[in-house]
Amino acid sequence: MNIAQYQDKLLQQATQAGLTEAEVYYEHKTSFQCTLYEGELDSYETSKDGGLSLRGVYNGKMGYAYTEKVDDDSISFLIDYVKANAEILDEHEDISIFEGSQEYAQHSFYNEELEAVSIPEKIELLRAIEEKIRAYDPRIVTLDYCILQSYSTERTLANSKNLALSHKENGLVLYLSTVVKEGDELKSGSYIKTTRDFHALDVDAIAKNVAEEALANLGEQSIPSSKYPIILRQDAAASLLSTFMTIFSADKAQKNQSLLKGKVGQQVAAETLTLLNVPYHPEALSGSNFDGEGVATKQQAIIANGTLQTLLHNRKTAKKDDCETTGHAQRESYKDSLSIAPQNFYIAPGQNTQDTLIASLSEGVLITHLSGLHSGTNSISGDFSVAARGFHIQDGKIASPVKQMTIAGNFFTLLKDIEAISSDLYFLPNGHGSPSLVVKELAVTVE
Amino acid sequence: MIKQSIIENVLEAALATGGDFSEIFIEDKYVNEYFLQDGKIERSIAGRDFGIGIRIFSGLQSIYTYTNDFSEEGLLAAAKRAALAIKGDESGIIHPLRKEIITPIHQILRMPNTVEHTSKTAIMRQADAIARNYDPRISQVGIRYLDEQQNVLIANSEGKFVEDTRVYSRLSMQATATEGTEVQTGFYGPGAHAGFEFIEQLDLNHYAGEAARIAVTMLHADECPSGKFPVIIDNEFGGVIFHEACGHGLEATAVAKNNSVFANRIGERVAPEIVTYIDDGTLQNEWGSLNIDDEGEKTRKNVLIENGILKGYLIDKFNARRMNAQPTGSSRRQSYRFNPTSRMTNTYIAPGTSTPADIIASTEYGIYAKYMGGGQVSPSTGDYNFAVMEAYIVKDGKIEQPVRGATLIGNGAKTLQLVDRVGNNLAHGAGMCGSLSGSLPVNVGQPMIRVSEITVGGTKGE
Repeated sequence: MNIAQYQDKLLQQATQAGLTEAEVYYEHKTSFQCTLYEGELDSYETSKDGGLSLRGVYNGKMGYAYTEKVDDDSISFLIDYVKANAEILDEHEDISIFEGSQEYAQHSFYNEELEAVSIPEKIELLRAIEEKIRAYDPRIVTLDYCILQSYSTERTLANSKNLALSHKENGLVLYLSTVVKEGDELKSGSYIKTTRDFHALDVDAIAKNVAEEALANLGEQSIPSSKYPIILRQDAAASLLSTFMTIFSADKAQKNQSLLKGKVGQQVAAETLTLLNVPYHPEALSGSNFDGEGVATKQQAIIANGTLQTLLHNRKTAKKDDCETTGHAQRESYKDSLSIAPQNFYIAPGQNTQDTLIASLSEGVLITHLSGLHSGTNSISGDFSVAARGFHIQDGKIASPVKQMTIAGNFFTLLKDIEAISSDLYFLPNGHGSPSLVVKELAVTVE
Repeated sequence: MIKQSIIENVLEAALATGGDFSEIFIEDKYVNEYFLQDGKIERSIAGRDFGIGIRIFSGLQSIYTYTNDFSEEGLLAAAKRAALAIKGDESGIIHPLRKEIITPIHQILRMPNTVEHTSKTAIMRQADAIARNYDPRISQVGIRYLDEQQNVLIANSEGKFVEDTRVYSRLSMQATATEGTEVQTGFYGPGAHAGFEFIEQLDLNHYAGEAARIAVTMLHADECPSGKFPVIIDNEFGGVIFHEACGHGLEATAVAKNNSVFANRIGERVAPEIVTYIDDGTLQNEWGSLNIDDEGEKTRKNVLIENGILKGYLIDKFNARRMNAQPTGSSRRQSYRFNPTSRMTNTYIAPGTSTPADIIASTEYGIYAKYMGGGQVSPSTGDYNFAVMEAYIVKDGKIEQPVRGATLIGNGAKTLQLVDRVGNNLAHGAGMCGSLSGSLPVNVGQPMIRVSEITVGGTKGE
């Protein structure tokens, strides 16, 4: 079925059925994923899938429905459910469907060259990386994850106000994790690499990264549980920031679910900290020239030199706070209603190398990995207590890996306790990023 | 959902390049989700998920493809695309499809799609009122209602052809309490493989009241001390510790490739004699229950650890090949988008003989974890961590003040050895479990248990 025609037909019938305004969002994805296990192709996965949602105003309220079955029967399914769901809502929608921004940036999120890379070439690359890792050191036992994923996604947003926007993106992600053993000690280390530039992937460098990441964890020592100065390595810092991202949502603030409520213009972090949102970043895979409502996205500082500049708004929260939308309406997928999220969201890098940061501490702990973030964090109070892996720093040098730890503290306090920032910015696949951070202190409990 | 002749053609096309097994999974799922916050229904979504997953085995290689193009051409193209991954010359064998009729063990009394929206939202409003009226310090309440009707058709080249309908209902309640600058939350989320009758019969006073009570209690909790202590974990959702600490390590996904500390240890003692650990997908209408798994195998009661001895694993069809074992009715997937693999259903520690009162009375100093949050494990090393939502200090056999920010860390295999009390009050709690084949409804369960030593990470220091 031709999707443009289907969208038109759906919008037309929706209007005839009594929806005063309507919007159709469509997403289609093609993907490939393979896994290797001990030199053999263990799994191989391809897909072509997507879906479509209808959002529309009925009796002054905004109803919502989606389907993955794109056929004529689904048109009445969508319209009937939009109406039924609108009726359940308690709130009248005071925000209409958006007519469009004056101007949109023209960043490209799609690399033709990546699209031209064949499946056998991708498998070969993964095979080469796997071989290099397994041959790197006799202490390497196996790879517990050796996965390559590539995808290409198209999105369109069309509404009854004649707005028609489209977005195309692709990317490739490598998830690698290796298990190492020395004596009775069993450790693992993982590494994620994201790119749109297939030919720039350096097999030796990636293999070395994965192997060294795991091997470095051997020879663990216990250190006394106590408060220590902390260096959050770039990837650990990015995952912590990502977990607490919702504190910047104006919707959460308006519903008393964020302690940043009423703090715009105030100092909420150390002066050294600047937190940015950009629609496009060359190092990140995510981003878009328009947000989930069709509003043009833009570069902006959320925190500048420690001062909160704005919360993240969509048109609804902006109206409530009597300000302009910041272009942060988010469509996680056609299955979700509008929420709020940044595009590429990262702490601005500083001048120091990671080694300088380590050298600056007479004693401390370098945290390289956090886990249990979904359960050990409270985004409302800011409290966190999560499992961590890392190294003991003594006299400005890494002394040894530390047994499994927890680090505990409060994210709002942590923002104020950032003392130095490195230059090595790292992005998670979701577009949240950070350099390494020196934090005054956190409570560390060692197993 | 799709004509049998098309299914046969797809299964055949999938084996054209030498695969030895092909399977098709067709899913047609209707979802309703409502969310109430600020006392208002502010979000309502209805949707239909529809798609097809095709799987091929060639020896120890597994190929998967999925699409929502349901036309015969679309499906054949998908099957051929997947078959390209195999480089054999002889076509695999297709057995004629034999339709299997299953007798559902989980009866659904009120299909959610036949229930008025207003009946659903009325219950959400009641839960909201109960939580708000609990205490003036309750500053926000979020109630999420979910129902799903998942129709599946599973057919494979061995002649299997089976259909099933799974119905899920869940009501999740989160209360936020505020006093000055202190903000704390409490959560309860009962769910079942059942229709609207489950939601109607819920004891809202208990669940919404508990969510509010936890939030208010934690407002004045001390910071949790750090160190190694005996830890008492209460029943029901407390079972999440063994879900993380040993359940994942007993899944074939980890065991087949020796990525588990429990691999190759059947018949060995892995826990004290008081520990029996069971996964049972047949428990009537429980959240993790199924009539058949996502490969079409009947679910069953799998005893994993019996009186401390390792008895079995959770095995899916593909890993069964590597392990040279039989599948256990444990293969699951979130949707047609996921290649299925061995997963838990309702997993629990069987009841022992100690009473909860005795367990607490016999503890000199330790932590009592009344309600657990979620957790995580690395199956290859067995290292786990999880958060305690509501914890107390136990001193001289009595429960004392509440503490917050407690995180438990340790190694699953070692923690299992340190269980020294198993209570007699078995109960199950509903949760979502995320792993290779997606996010799935599972129950975790246990009676109250005590572990003689767990590392507790807190903010207070030693």
